[in-house]
Amino acid sequence: MSQKQVGGPPGDNSTVDWCLYQLNGAAEFEVSEADIISTVEFNHTGELLATGDKGGRVVIFQREPESKNEPYNQGEYNVYSTFQSHEPEFDYLKSLEIEEKINKIKWLPQQNAAHSLLSTNDKTIKLWKITERDKRPEGYNLKDEEGKLKDLSTVTSLQVPVLKPMDLMVEVTPRRIFANGHTYHVNSISVNSDCETYMSADDLRINLWHLAITDRSFNIVDIKPANMEDLTEVITASEFHPHHCNLFVYSSSKGSLRLCDMRASALCDKHSKLYEEPEDPSNRSFFSEIISSVSDVKFSHSGRYMLTRDYLTVKVWDLNMETKPVETYQVHDYLRSKLCSLYENDCIFDKFECAWNGSDSVIMTGAYNNFFRMFDRNTKRDVTLEASRESSKPRAILKPRRVCVGGKRRKDDISVDSLDFTKKILHTAWHPTENIIAIAATNNLYIFQDKVNSEMH
Amino acid sequence: MEFKLEAHRIVSISLGKIYSARGQRGGLKLHKNLLVSLVLRSARQVYLSEPGCPPEPPPAACGPPEEPPPSPPPPPPQDEAGPRLPGAACQGPRPRRCCCGCCCCCASAGGEVNREAARPDCAAASAAAAPPPPHCPRKRSAAERGQAGSPVKKPRREAEEPPPPPPPPQGEQEDMETGNVASLISIFGSSFSGLLSKEPKGRRRPPLDGGEAAAATPAEAASEPGQICCDEPVLRTLNPWSTAIVAF
Repeated sequence: MSQKQVGGPPGDNSTVDWCLYQLNGAAEFEVSEADIISTVEFNHTGELLATGDKGGRVVIFQREPESKNEPYNQGEYNVYSTFQSHEPEFDYLKSLEIEEKINKIKWLPQQNAAHSLLSTNDKTIKLWKITERDKRPEGYNLKDEEGKLKDLSTVTSLQVPVLKPMDLMVEVTPRRIFANGHTYHVNSISVNSDCETYMSADDLRINLWHLAITDRSFNIVDIKPANMEDLTEVITASEFHPHHCNLFVYSSSKGSLRLCDMRASALCDKHSKLYEEPEDPSNRSFFSEIISSVSDVKFSHSGRYMLTRDYLTVKVWDLNMETKPVETYQVHDYLRSKLCSLYENDCIFDKFECAWNGSDSVIMTGAYNNFFRMFDRNTKRDVTLEASRESSKPRAILKPRRVCVGGKRRKDDISVDSLDFTKKILHTAWHPTENIIAIAATNNLYIFQDKVNSEMH
Repeated sequence: MEFKLEAHRIVSISLGKIYSARGQRGGLKLHKNLLVSLVLRSARQVYLSEPGCPPEPPPAACGPPEEPPPSPPPPPPQDEAGPRLPGAACQGPRPRRCCCGCCCCCASAGGEVNREAARPDCAAASAAAAPPPPHCPRKRSAAERGQAGSPVKKPRREAEEPPPPPPPPQGEQEDMETGNVASLISIFGSSFSGLLSKEPKGRRRPPLDGGEAAAATPAEAASEPGQICCDEPVLRTLNPWSTAIVAF
């Protein structure tokens, strides 16, 4: 099979060969549930990569700057900081435990030397500030080296304290805690392009917050019916438009997208645009509703398109066309005949995320058996790759994988029945500008780079 | 028949999921439970539709918002009443089918015994195996009414008769547990409404914690197997499950 794969800037016929750059995480038999990665996010420059896990921890990786001295370390993402973002809590009124699992992390655009990110669990959003300290003042007059006050009689002269270099220390502090805004489980957060506000969405409501104000938020979408018996759909994901600070989109469990304009009214229950594709009646089954539920929605970098993921497909929607998506890609259509088993083992409820590359020419999403898929929108080619220790030797090019559905089976093909449904890639992220991808496979973080990219360093 | 078996299997699986969801960490997941209840509804519909009966479209609550919601009175078209008391829409003797899972207590109630005995596939077998769900007398009346007049309108009204869903605890309007119990109310329709009227006060109050939700769920789950366990082969396989649910 040809090694040519998808990728590359639009109009460029060069292809991308992905190779494993690094792998972080313990071997599989040592996994504890708390280590399972639950979200992955690059910052706006791609210099930092944050992961959140089920244990409420956030780990931030920083890319090593290029240096001629150590060519092999360049571009490597090293652990920059680890901190406990959320702890398990107990809601005494409802006798419910609140999980500490980090559902989403979103970086704020950098405005000064510090980096900031928002992290959220089911109920509470926190703003963390990450600062570096690599110098410390020495030579105080009144304090000694340990900080104890000096005996004044020993002070005979005055000196000016000087800043001396020290080992780099990364400090993380919680600057804001946005609590008590949500009754239901928070599924997404999104920072507005105005850099002042952000929104958080739970199953039935979306709130707008100001980054500096924690004691109140504005409810901008509320789909809770007067009678809960009439509940038919919930909000599954939401995102602000990358350029227009008044526009945002939210997806529903029924497979529809609603684009809302905050200029239209204070409460955006009435959408400006509704994106919905009529169901194909030939595909109707007991599980049609479940598989049409949108698990993730992402605006393209250009702001012209939206990408949605439902159980079996990824779809590209043009903001100007509400009737149907402009592109639909099958992620693993061979599962369509297995929906009943997948319902039984709960896999049908898995929420896969999706991602755009920097130029919006390639889209990526995860699947089972630690497979992930990429679709090139220009060439219409797609590829299936695997994130596993066995099949990825560092610097070796990833081999495309194939799932055979019966009929002729080629060597190295995997049959549908041998797929491991416990190995699922739900969370993936693409570097904002380069061909570097971060793939979370259970507790392991794989970083793949374009071979050309990595060789240039 | 295959579809019925598959539908029945899906109903069992769905009930199991709803039941086990109450104990999970982090509280009830509204999204997942909504999806499970939608599947349960579809499977239940398919299971209860017989050859000769027109297949029912999705229940009003599942439909687009323009359709009349299930709770307010306007009598819906024949089809839509299906999920409320699906048996009633089909044939004369059919309504009794809804009781036959609990015909044990119907038997004890006396008057219905003769009618129940007339249906061979709904016999004492189920009576012996499953302990009587307490709501049976209520269901019997639904069956009677179902026979008498328009089988469609009456059951629907009957569904509206029972007291409204239990008020939220301590003025907490946004209790997720209430919401989900209420969803289950709409799923199980009249059988659940019967359940509500018969349950002691303690059970009707919306659960403050997952434990109490369990009390409601298995009890209402019991109504489901009760309703559908009329085919003997299915009956035999189902009974241990329904027994377990009810016993719990």
